[in-house]
Amino acid sequence: MSNVTNIDHATVKERPVTTLDQQPARAEGRKDPWSQLLVKVGKSQDRQAYHSLFEHFAPQLKYYAMANGMASHADELVQEVFVSIWRRACLYDWQKAAASTWIFTIARNQRIDMLRKMRRSSVEMAVETEDLWQIPGEDDNQPVTSLHRLMSERRVRESLSQLPEDQITVIAKVYMEQKSHQMVADELNIPLGTVKSRVRLALSKLKVILQDQNV
Amino acid sequence: MTRHHPDSLSLMEYSAGNLSEPHALCIRLHLDKCAQCRCQVDTLDSLGAVVMEKQPKVSVSGTMFDDILARIDSSTEPRPQVKMQPKTSLLQKLLGEDINNLPWKRQLGDVSVLDITGKFPGQNEQVVLQKLVAGGKAPAHTHRGTETTIVLQGMFSDHKGVFSQWDFVVLTEQDEHKPVALGSEDCITLSVLSAPVKLTGTFTRLLNPFIR
Repeated sequence: MSNVTNIDHATVKERPVTTLDQQPARAEGRKDPWSQLLVKVGKSQDRQAYHSLFEHFAPQLKYYAMANGMASHADELVQEVFVSIWRRACLYDWQKAAASTWIFTIARNQRIDMLRKMRRSSVEMAVETEDLWQIPGEDDNQPVTSLHRLMSERRVRESLSQLPEDQITVIAKVYMEQKSHQMVADELNIPLGTVKSRVRLALSKLKVILQDQNV
Repeated sequence: MTRHHPDSLSLMEYSAGNLSEPHALCIRLHLDKCAQCRCQVDTLDSLGAVVMEKQPKVSVSGTMFDDILARIDSSTEPRPQVKMQPKTSLLQKLLGEDINNLPWKRQLGDVSVLDITGKFPGQNEQVVLQKLVAGGKAPAHTHRGTETTIVLQGMFSDHKGVFSQWDFVVLTEQDEHKPVALGSEDCITLSVLSAPVKLTGTFTRLLNPFIR
């Protein structure tokens, strides 16, 4: 019996790369503790898991709000994001995104939505924040898409620390302070072209700009 | 299959949530049909998450978690369901009408336009739909500032190539082009024109309240 198992195992190893790669990627997804906690919140409304997520992400989100110039609304943003996490956790699928990425997109959308409500003029807009900023989910259940997402997240984490400081500075200003590339150039007193080339260099090192775009 | 994509820098500004609503709309319409760019935005969202994680942390008040639990417990809102494909497309939702039945204004020969800037209150850009009748030619023209365009229907060609449905084009003041609608369908595009920044009365009204 054990012989048979061994043979099976060997056969699996011979399989084409695409099939084989899914195993470590899935395992990697399971290893991410925040994603595990978020799954628990979604499946069983686990308040202890929810509290652990709060302890980890709330201080990050508060900084995010403050860096965005929303200091007087920072607590409100953190609360909105967490209420949203609780409500939407049942839709979370760890195979599609890590918890940190999922929470980042909720924070981004909530920030946009709050700003929009605050400056709303008498005319209402026909489309909602989510219509513009939530990525469409067509074909999302394809394993290749999930695989790509999990791999890219790990890769981004690992390679971001290797980027030179000037590239990280520019990226952080775009993501944390909502500055356009032009505003970053003005603030750092460098030409717009320099900002753009730093970002392009960083993105190609992070492999955001894919060589093989058919993935 | 789209061949002309937004550049990675625009996708990054989309992922960071920094684009104006009309620009976000152009990117969003493209993403709807382009798996390749969706993949890039997924990775960029991960980049956003990792950048956020590496920033300083600011502690939150000790009672906040209890406040959140109280809100959750008192909420009677039903839990969200997995979203089905919406019955109306984003464009229809925005325009309130099929794109071919809009009150187009004939401009010059084969060109009709419809200014929809009013759909985006509080924005500093002009948003226009343009229609070139099938086989029609637009007169040669240049652009004021930067014009971001997405093809919504049909296709057109100019000196830069052929642009078909969901293709993305950015033209600047340097680009003079003379588009021709190809194929049997009217070519309809959505364009966002960045107006030169002039500090007039209307502009100050639009200033983001959080600009320091």
